Amino acid sequence: MFKIALSPAERSYLHESLSCSSPIRPDARLYKQFRPLEATCSFLPGSNGSARIRMADGAECLASVKAKVVSLQLNNADATQQLQNLIEVDLDINGIRDDSNLSSTIASSLKGSLVKHVPLDKLRLTHRYAFKLFIDIVVLSHSSVYPLTLLSLATYMALKSTKLPLLTSTVDDREIEEQPMFSDDWESSIALFGDSSLSPPLLFVVAVVNDNIFIDPSPEEESVSENGICLTYANGKIISPLQTISLSPKDNTGINAAQILKAHALVKEIGPLVTKSLDEIVSDDSVKTIF
Amino acid sequence: MTEIISIRKPLNPDADSDVESSDEEMLEASLAPKNNNQSIVTPGELITEDPIWMRGHGTYYLDERTYSSVAGTISKVNKLLSVLPLRGRYQPETGDHVVGRITEVGPKRWKVDIGARQDAVLMLGSVNLPGGVLRRKSESDELQMRNFLKEGDLLNAEVQSIFQDGSASLHTRSLKYGKLRNGYFVKVPSSLIIRQKNHLHELPGSITIIIGVNGYIWISKTLYQKSLSSTTGNNALDSTVSSAGAKGNSYTPGQGSVSITRLEEESSWEIYSDKNEPISVATKDTIARYANCVKALAKCDIGITETRIVAAYEASMVYENAGLLLDEETMRSIGEDVLNRERMRG
Amino acid sequence: MELYSPEGLRVDGRRWNELRRFYCRINTHPIVADGSAYVEAGNTKIVCLLNGPHEPTRSQMNTQRGSLDIKLHVSPFSTTERRKSTRNDRRIQELSTILKNTFEQVVILKNYPRTIIEVDVRVLAQDGGLLASCCNAITLALVDAGIALYDYVSAVSAGVFDNQILLDLNRLEEQDLSSVTIGVVGKTKKLSLVLSETRLPQDRLAKVFEVAVNGCHQLKEQMDAQVAKKGREKAITEGLKTNWVP
Repeated sequence: MFKIALSPAERSYLHESLSCSSPIRPDARLYKQFRPLEATCSFLPGSNGSARIRMADGAECLASVKAKVVSLQLNNADATQQLQNLIEVDLDINGIRDDSNLSSTIASSLKGSLVKHVPLDKLRLTHRYAFKLFIDIVVLSHSSVYPLTLLSLATYMALKSTKLPLLTSTVDDREIEEQPMFSDDWESSIALFGDSSLSPPLLFVVAVVNDNIFIDPSPEEESVSENGICLTYANGKIISPLQTISLSPKDNTGINAAQILKAHALVKEIGPLVTKSLDEIVSDDSVKTIF
Repeated sequence: MTEIISIRKPLNPDADSDVESSDEEMLEASLAPKNNNQSIVTPGELITEDPIWMRGHGTYYLDERTYSSVAGTISKVNKLLSVLPLRGRYQPETGDHVVGRITEVGPKRWKVDIGARQDAVLMLGSVNLPGGVLRRKSESDELQMRNFLKEGDLLNAEVQSIFQDGSASLHTRSLKYGKLRNGYFVKVPSSLIIRQKNHLHELPGSITIIIGVNGYIWISKTLYQKSLSSTTGNNALDSTVSSAGAKGNSYTPGQGSVSITRLEEESSWEIYSDKNEPISVATKDTIARYANCVKALAKCDIGITETRIVAAYEASMVYENAGLLLDEETMRSIGEDVLNRERMRG
Repeated sequence: MELYSPEGLRVDGRRWNELRRFYCRINTHPIVADGSAYVEAGNTKIVCLLNGPHEPTRSQMNTQRGSLDIKLHVSPFSTTERRKSTRNDRRIQELSTILKNTFEQVVILKNYPRTIIEVDVRVLAQDGGLLASCCNAITLALVDAGIALYDYVSAVSAGVFDNQILLDLNRLEEQDLSSVTIGVVGKTKKLSLVLSETRLPQDRLAKVFEVAVNGCHQLKEQMDAQVAKKGREKAITEGLKTNWVP
């Protein structure tokens, strides 16, 4: 499913096209151009936030955010660690075992970037209780070796559409132990990222061929690329993690600073446009069907 | 829409279609005369109780009645009654010109993915081997089958025969068949391809296209080799070919010194080469544009012919950046354009 | 909460013999699958992707007839309380087997020797009638893929509340009532699937089946209408293709 076999002639055609000074992508895209996407939000009534995104090649991903009230272990000394545990990421990639290397690597990359950019203070309800967010990501189909961009776009929209019920109990549970109470009225729910200055991070995979870089590489572009770089973008900045990734078995030439700088500039340029397009989908609630 | 990213919501042409309206639709469908004489039958639907019909694909026979087993349109050819499914995998027929990819190298045969239910078979005896058409196949040929064709290689071939279980046997015993080089592969649903006399066409812009009946399409740079005798040395050809690209001239005098006796073998090994000819940036650009035009026709469910590909290509010239052709709305407008041109021609 | 009010209304406002809102679409994933379908029954949501018939691995090869492989994936967010199922969840395996047995009788597998048909059923949201909705989604995906079937299989659940039969149970009803899921072949009364995991009063059994068969027939009509509608759309474009000769 995610292994594409190309003939040597196809590979050299693609590699040559992508590596020359005015590169030509096989579908004629610009180096900074995404394939068209189809996306929708908030279609799972049982989740606090949900999103589905599909790429032009049929690769498709669903993300759900479910909040659950948990009690905090107060005797635990490491408070930040506890807050970070309020986010759990679970990945299910069709055709890949969920305990595989790829799944766990991607899940930890995602979690690592999320804990820093989700307003954790909003999850804290009372002294004793907090919301824990379960982010479940399902990749229905994909043809990429590293479907991180797809996952990240879906997760971004699911988080952006996440609403949490309004806390109505005002008892300070430092003294009296009491479960928190919430408003039944969904209208009064609070958007997780509503007035937050934070924004969910987006992870972009950039393929490197010779001196050229390409955003949103197609599976065939991945398979002839020499390197891959994963960059994280949030709030107008490139943030950590930034890492090199292997997109094809032939990854063997090292990466240089110039390529990283190029990728850096590229993501910085496209980041605002991508977030804007995604936000438009999140705020447009005209269509409710999934498919 | 920016040139960087375009995201849209899923199209919902019938947003109001809930239970009630689908009932209305059913009513409407049963009252209105079918506007194109092609009524749709669905699985389990009784087609006829008349025993005179021979039952073909897409039907089954139970208690002296013939039922449809798929959703599709009824086809009656002489006394053969069949239902043509709306969708489905490619069903090979003898004589089909197909494009395929090698999936397995086995004893004296290759397995080839042609998008059918089963991989096709290409026997070692059904290909031309280096050293001339008439020479006998030897054991050494069996041992070096991967030197001719290996897993992942693309080729174009003709369906030689169909086995009892419906799978195909291929051959490449003609100069127009064989390994594919110098281009780019696109896949479309096989139902969009119309069987024609010729599936290999030259398109404007020095492009050759092979529209495989199975929906596998190969778009490549035109090589002016076929018009010349196949035993001519390749180096002479290269220089004529590369006139397309200014700096693509690959004429290298050193390689020209091939003895006459080896010439035939050299040239026939060439048919299994993995090396591309030099291809100019302009040609690659044209190939990418054609590929996007093919995808646009497929997106609009328009049957794919050479004429339509050319029409789409001409219509696409409005967009300087051929990458914009990936956008669904643009694809639809290209499709409309192609159909309008046809209507105008009558 | 009362599952059936004296006025004859159920928790979600339906009458006893009323189906939930049923919404279905075929060919939802044309690029990645040979056949695909999406089914909603109330708040239960199912996606089904089918690939094949295609070349099997050697161990899957059957020279007499095609092989059918059905995998059920229950998403962790599909239930009200998030629940992550393990890979070898007994319940999921059991449901997959039931579905496989059902469709092995309905797909004309002898037409597809030496091939495999792979079906992935993905549960996105559960609100009762899981098995029935999976069955309906698989039928539609098979039809979409152009795979030969003797007929549709449409399925629904029915239960008994205090001697009152209720059709197409939602999750609340399903939790509290004894119920049965049945799958019916086309417009016949032949059952190709029966699953009852709770006790049903024997004297009500015949009536429960009658009500459920009726519900299945209604669903079959809705599924058929969707297929025919898609078919007419397609036939129009096909017409464009074949009527025109260069």
